[in-house]
Formats: sequence, C-alpha cells, structure tokens
Amino acid sequence: MSALSREVIWDRLREGGLAEGELPAPGEGRSPWFVRVMLGFAGWIGASFLLGFVGVGFVFVMKSATASVLVGAAACSAAAVIFRASPRGDFASQFGLAVSLAGQALMVFGLFQWFERSITGIALAVAMQQALLFVLLPNYLHRVWAAWSGTYAASFALLDMGLQAFVPAAVTAAFLAVWLREFDHPRHGELVRSGGYGLALAAVQTAVMHGELWYSWMQARGGAVLFGGEAGAWIGAVTCGAVLLWAVITLLRREGVPLASAVGKIALAGAAILAFLSLKTPGVGPAAAILVVGYANGNRVLAGLGIVALLGYLSHYYYALHATLLEKSVLLACAGLALLLLRLALLKWWPRAKEVGHA
Amino acid sequence: MANPRNEILEWTEQGRIEQRNLRRALELGEVLPTAEEWRRFLERLLLFMGSAMLAAGVIFFFAHNWQELGRYTKFGLVEALMLVALALSWRLGLDRASGKATLLVTALLTGALLALVGQIYQTGADTFELFAAWAVAVLPWVLVARFPALWILWLALVNLAVTLYFQIFHGWFGVIFGPERQLWLLFSLNTAALVTWEAAAASGVVWLRERWAARLIATASGAFVTALAVLAIIDWKGSGVLNTLAWIAWLAAAYAFYRVRAKDVYMLAGGVLSAIIVTATFLGKHLVQTEAASFGFLLVGLIVIGMSAAGGYWLKNVATEEDR
Repeated sequence: MSALSREVIWDRLREGGLAEGELPAPGEGRSPWFVRVMLGFAGWIGASFLLGFVGVGFVFVMKSATASVLVGAAACSAAAVIFRASPRGDFASQFGLAVSLAGQALMVFGLFQWFERSITGIALAVAMQQALLFVLLPNYLHRVWAAWSGTYAASFALLDMGLQAFVPAAVTAAFLAVWLREFDHPRHGELVRSGGYGLALAAVQTAVMHGELWYSWMQARGGAVLFGGEAGAWIGAVTCGAVLLWAVITLLRREGVPLASAVGKIALAGAAILAFLSLKTPGVGPAAAILVVGYANGNRVLAGLGIVALLGYLSHYYYALHATLLEKSVLLACAGLALLLLRLALLKWWPRAKEVGHA
Repeated sequence: MANPRNEILEWTEQGRIEQRNLRRALELGEVLPTAEEWRRFLERLLLFMGSAMLAAGVIFFFAHNWQELGRYTKFGLVEALMLVALALSWRLGLDRASGKATLLVTALLTGALLALVGQIYQTGADTFELFAAWAVAVLPWVLVARFPALWILWLALVNLAVTLYFQIFHGWFGVIFGPERQLWLLFSLNTAALVTWEAAAASGVVWLRERWAARLIATASGAFVTALAVLAIIDWKGSGVLNTLAWIAWLAAAYAFYRVRAKDVYMLAGGVLSAIIVTATFLGKHLVQTEAASFGFLLVGLIVIGMSAAGGYWLKNVATEEDR
C-alpha cells in the first residue's frame, strides 16, 4: 500500500479503462481522522457549556422529565435542520454537533427520570434514540458518535437482561459485517464508514476491553444473573470464536483465496488459534479482527485502532479477574507459541513469490 | 500527501468511477494489499503477536509466584528464556523484524527478572524503583536496536517510574490533581524526548522518521503542558505565570516547527485542541461564576464552537494544501 499522487492514480484508472475525462478538481477534502477526533472532543466541550446554559438559565427544564426530553428532541431537530441547511459549513457542522450532543444529554436525563430503575428500559430507549439520530442527522462525525453510543447503550440493555456473554460476539459480528461489505455500497460510503467506525469503537469498548465494564457493573448491581449460567458464558465465548472463523472465511472468499489452499489453511489455522484463545482471553480475537479487516480494506486508521486495542487488551488482561495469573500465563504462552509455529508454517508453505495478482 | 483510498472512494461516490469497478480501482491505486503484501503482513502479525503473548505469558507466570517452584528454578527459567531470546536476536540480526521482535521480548523479560528479584528477596523496593531499574537495564539494547517501538517502551517505563514515584510520595490525590512538580518533570522529559527525536530524524536518521512514535511523544508532552496551563488557571499561584509562559512557548514552537518546517497536521490539531481546552477553562472560570452565569455558559459554548470550527477549517486547508 503506497501513497500515489492524484494524477498518477487517475492516469492509471484511465489506462485501465475505469475512468474517463480529465482529473476531477480536488474536492473540499476530507478532514484527517485526528482532526475529526479533535472536533469531536471540542464538540463535547461546547455541548457541556450549552447544557450548563440550559441547566442554569432554564431550571424548569431539568426539573421535569417531559420538558428535558422535549427540549432535547427540539435541540436534536434544530441540529438536523442546521446539518441539512449547511452540509459543508464548518461552523454550522460544529454548532449542529454541539447542539445535538447537548440535546441528547437532555433526552437521556429525561429518560432516566421516566424509567427510574429500569436499566433495560433506559438503555433500549437510548439505543433507539441514537439509531434514529444516526439515520436522520446527516453529519459524518455525528453519525460515528451515534453509532458508537447507540451500540454501547444496546450492549447495556443486553447486559441488564443477563445476555452479556453474547455482547462481544454480537458487536464484533456487526462491526465485521459492515466493514467486510464496505465496497458493496460505494454510493452510501459516508453512511457505511461512519457506522463502521462507530461499531469499531463500540467493539473495542465491549468486545476487547469488556472485562472492566462487566465486572464493575456486576459488582455495582450485586451480581447480574447470567442467562444460561456457566453454559451461557461458554456458548457466548464459542459464538465469538465462530464469528472470527466466519469473518476469515468471508474475507478469504472476498479475496478469491480457496479455503483448501495453503494460504487458506494458514489463515484458518490462525483464526482457529485466536478463536480457541478467545474462550478465556476474549479480547484478543476481536482486536485482531479489527486489525486484519483494516489492513484488508487498505484502511490504516482501522488497522491502527486494532493495534492499539491489542496492546491495550494485553495490558488490561493482567488485571482481569476471571482467571488466575497462572491460567492466564499458560494460555498466553501456548497461544504465543502456536502463533510463532504458524509463522514458521507460513514461511515454509507460502514462500515469497513473484507477484501473481491479488491474494 | 494524497490519500489514494479517500480519492478513489470520493470519485466513486461522485460517479466518476462505476460502482462495480471500485475494487479494481482500489487495486490499481495500490490501496488494497497484493498477495506479497498480505504474506508480509501476516508474517509480521504472527511474529509480533506470538512474541508479545509469549513474553506476557512468562511475565504473568512469574507474577503468579507459584510456590511449587524453587527460587533457583524460577531464576533459571527466566534467565534461560532471556538468553534464548537474546541469542535469537543476535543470530537473526537487528536489521530484520524477527531480530527486533526477539530483542523486544528480551527487554520485556528483563522486567520479569527484576520483579522476580524483588519478589523472592523481598527487597522492600518501591514499584517506581522496579520501573527505573528496568529502564536503566534495557537502555543498552534500546540504544543499539534502531527500533522505535523499543524506544517508546523505554520512554513509557521512565514515565511510569516518575508517576509512581509521585504516587508513593504524594498519594492518589496528588496524582489525580497533578502536583506541578510531577507535571513539570513529565512535561520536560517528554518534550526533551520529542526534540531529540525530531532533531535526529531531521539530521537523516531514517528509522526515526516513523511518525506514529513522534506523535505519541508529542501527545504526552502536549497533554502535560496543557494540564500545567489549566492548573495555573484553576489554582493561580506565583508559578502560574511560568506555567502559562511554558504553554504559550510550546504552542508557538509547535506551530513554527510543524506548520512551517515539518508540516504535521496531527501536531497542529493537538495544538488547536490544547488552545480550546485552555481558553474554555479560562473563560469558564471568569464568565460562569458571575451573576449572569447562564449567558456566560452560552457565550463560552459559542466561543468553543467557533474556535473549533475555525481550527477545523484551518487544519483541513493545511491538509489539503499538502495534497495538492
């Protein structure tokens, strides 16, 4: 993967019969990912001051659940109008983002009062609210946020229902389903990618670093009842492994690699090792999936997120409480050795070759 | 620098490339990996994941402090593993990724060995001493490896040693609110590392040109100086002037270097975020504690939104300017 100039790429596309005419004029340009992250942070800072404005200036709004939800919904509607009226305006985008974030916080505040102690009710309502906002508010950064927070809220609902064992598999599957079909809907690319990034962040939070969330949640609630008990936990872990295998098979098929070929077998063996490891070391598989899918789609941001997630998980795993340090050490050492042996197999059965097209 | 992936995706969205040809276009634009690139990627992935897991497994094993094993067996095990990793690194050579990976494993195992010494002999050493000793012990390998990841590991160890030192001598409260001395030390340390890194990269050291490492160090340096400026605003003391001057000097230096000389939009974006945080803190302190607090909140919110929008616009232009 190299970085060719616009002119060289266009010439290649014309020579390959994929494009016609002159090189298109440079568009307004997409902001790099870190500029978007900066705008997201700043949006939240701006939103917190707007919330302060409502909280201090309009106390009655905060005192009434209905008023909170209505004012919040009005703010989100205003943001939708702003985004649609000025889709490319920098100030409008940032203003719309902050107004919508403040509106969402108000709605969540109201929902907490409406549903009182029903975490499932609150979480499902927030998930639906964020799903609606994802569809209705046409702003890239906002959609990333809506997809991320909506998925996170949905995972809380599942957790409260005792289905936490299935959250990593569900979120990882949703993330993989979107990114593995990224190129199937090019006209809706912005929608697919913003949702995909939101799901990637949610996968890091719930599937990679999930131990922290689940255990602190269980402790706070005095022990959430796990659906299916011990068997439920195993079924969830096996499902997560199955998702990984499915993703690798889908990727191999997409890349035109026969499953029975040497390359296919090596890839499947790697996935099987990670799937097996995921039974007791659940964050490794989803993190590796983010890295591999990012690489497969030529997406360095996603691949980088996968690397950060992997390193973060290994550091975090030391403190995870579900296994002793001895069990964890045996698992990690065996998996590490298996991966290194697989590398030797790769060097032997997949020799460095002349370029024979794409894998 | 152009981003071929984004360009091709945008042309397809505009209808300049047919949807069914997108994948082929991405291949021609060298966006998607070739068979050889896939092979290299998987080989590296298996190498680094395998090595990291193996090293982590060994560290976890010794942290478990298994009583069935005698002290000499434990020392023998970890030292034997270190020797094997070191020998492999020497055999493979530091120009190869596998050689670098095994040296990284050796550096990680050094930490396990030092922790084992503390565990078995109950030296009474504080945690910060472990990390400080670890950093000193692996320094020779770091110096010869020409490997950014190893340098980052070393810098992380030094940062941890400093943080833990202050945690022990100032308690958790001190860590959370960041006593100025600690923040100054961490800021100076990371800024010195960044300056050295950039100077060496500019003088032609090729392996230091990997931007992720410099960006990571700059993020740490920027976060600490921003915290110093915020601290000066929240709790104004005599040293507040110095903190503020350091922050302004850092912003000016970052602009001069990363806008004028080296052009790195990531660093500039960090500077914009820092400016927004410090401005919001300053205005928040002075405007929302007045009688007209609600309008103070609104005004600060609008200023933050305006600053970030202007910053985003400027950064996008700088990034596009690089593309053209």
